[in-house]
Amino acid sequence: MTITQIKSDMKEFEPNIVGFLCNWCSYAGADLAGTSRIQYPPNIKIIKVMCSGRVNPMFVVNALQQGADGVLIGGCHPGDCHYQHGNMLARRRIAVLKTLLEFMGIDPRRVRLTWVSASEGRKFANVITEITEDIRELGPMKKIKRVNVW
Amino acid sequence: MVDQELLVKEVKKIVSRDDVKYVIGYKKGTFGFTTSPAFAYSSDYVDKFIFNPLCKKNLAVYPILENKLPMKRGDEEDIRKIGVVVKGCDARALIQIIQEKGLKRDDLVIIGIPCSGVIDKRKLNSKLPNTKDYSEIIEEQDEYKITINGEVHKFAKEELLAEFCTSCVAPNPLIYDVLIGKKVEPWAEQEHVDIKAIEDKKISERWDYWEKHFERCIRCYACREACPLCYCETCMADLLEPQWIRRSVNLSENAAWNIMRAYHLAGRCVGCGECESVCPVNIPLMELNKKIEKEVKEMFSYTAGMDIEEKPLFGMFKPDDPEEFVL
Repeated sequence: MTITQIKSDMKEFEPNIVGFLCNWCSYAGADLAGTSRIQYPPNIKIIKVMCSGRVNPMFVVNALQQGADGVLIGGCHPGDCHYQHGNMLARRRIAVLKTLLEFMGIDPRRVRLTWVSASEGRKFANVITEITEDIRELGPMKKIKRVNVW
Repeated sequence: MVDQELLVKEVKKIVSRDDVKYVIGYKKGTFGFTTSPAFAYSSDYVDKFIFNPLCKKNLAVYPILENKLPMKRGDEEDIRKIGVVVKGCDARALIQIIQEKGLKRDDLVIIGIPCSGVIDKRKLNSKLPNTKDYSEIIEEQDEYKITINGEVHKFAKEELLAEFCTSCVAPNPLIYDVLIGKKVEPWAEQEHVDIKAIEDKKISERWDYWEKHFERCIRCYACREACPLCYCETCMADLLEPQWIRRSVNLSENAAWNIMRAYHLAGRCVGCGECESVCPVNIPLMELNKKIEKEVKEMFSYTAGMDIEEKPLFGMFKPDDPEEFVL
C-alpha cells in the first residue's frame, strides 16, 4: 500500500450519488427544496429525465460502473404520472433489478426508488439525507467499477 | 420415447404441403453425441430427421432468424409457413415470442413432441469419454440404453438428465398443430434448489462467488446467440453510440453484460438451459435466470411462456404491485 492510498483511505468517504429525477414531480420537488432553503447533503448529482419510466435499468448499471456509489430514481406518486402509468412500469422494473443486484451481491440499498411530488420539498431533503447516510455506511462501490476510464 | 417413424411420416406430410416453406428438426450430428438442426425443404430430406434424448438444442431460435428481404416491385411476398419440431420448453419459447409479437402464430406449423427429459451432453461425455459415434439411444422407464459399436451401456436417468428438466413445468408442448406420440406425465413440482445455496450466503459472500465466474467470461456472446428469446435486431451490447458496454474483457464489463443479459430475460426466460449449456467457460447463467423467474412469480405471479394472450411482464402493471422498497 502506498502512502497516497493510505491517505485517501483515511480521508472521510463522501458518497457519490446519481439521481434520475422525473421532470414533473421529483425534479420540481428538488427545486422546491432549493427555493425553500432546506438543507440536504450535496452528494447527489441530479439528471433530469422526462419520466421515471424512462430510466432504463442499464442507466443504473452504467452509473454504478462509472463510479457512482448509489443511484436514486425519483418519480411521481402512483396515479400522478404525467404519462398515465410510467411510474408504475418503473416500479416493476426497479423491483426486479434490485432483486437481481442483491442476488449478485450488490447491496440493494444502493439502488433506491422514491415517489416525491412537486410540493414535497421537505420529503425530498429527507430522502437524500437518508440515502446519503445509508451509502456512507455501506462504503464505496468497488465491485463493478470500470477500471480504465479515459 | 418418441416413435421415429411416426415423426418422419408426419413431417413428410407437412413438408409436402403447399403453404409450408420448410420444416426445422433434428438430425444426427457428425461427431460424438451431437445432434444438429436440420432444415427440410423437400420430403426426401425428412428421412434424416430423428428425435432422441440427445436433442437438447432449442429450435425456437431459428424461425426468428428467417430473413425477410426487401422485395422488387411487383414481387409477391413469400407468406409460406415454417414448421418447427418442438419439445415442451421450445413451445414455451415460441409462446413467449408470439406473445411479444416477434412471430405470428399463423406463420408457424408446430410439431409438438412430449418430452420426458433430455440428456446433458457434458455429463454423458464424462461417463463415456472419446466416443466418436453411437448407433442407438433408447429411453426405457428410468434408464437410458446407449449402444456404441454393438456394446450396450446402461445409465440411470438421474445420472444423465439435464439439470433443468426436473423443474420443467410443461413437458408437453402447450401449443402444437400436430402432436407426435402420447402426452407424458408432468414432473412433480420442485423448488429452485440450485439457487438456494447462493440465497443462503451473505450479500458480501455472494459477490465473491459471482466475481469468480464473471472474471472467466470471455464475452463470446454464445449465451445470446443460443437463447431463443434474445432476438433483438441490434443488441444493446453491440451498440457503439451510446456504448453501454465497452469491448474490453474485464470484470466490470463482464458483470455489466451478465446483469444486462439476465435482466433482459426477466419474465421472458422459459428455462430451457441453452445459455448455460453453450457457455464455453461454464458460468452458471441459469442461476441468475431461475432467481429472477422465482422472484417474478412471487412478486407479480407471472410465469413466462404459458399463454399467448397474456401481456409481457414489463409491458403492464397492476395497481397492487409490491412497493415496500420505495422510499
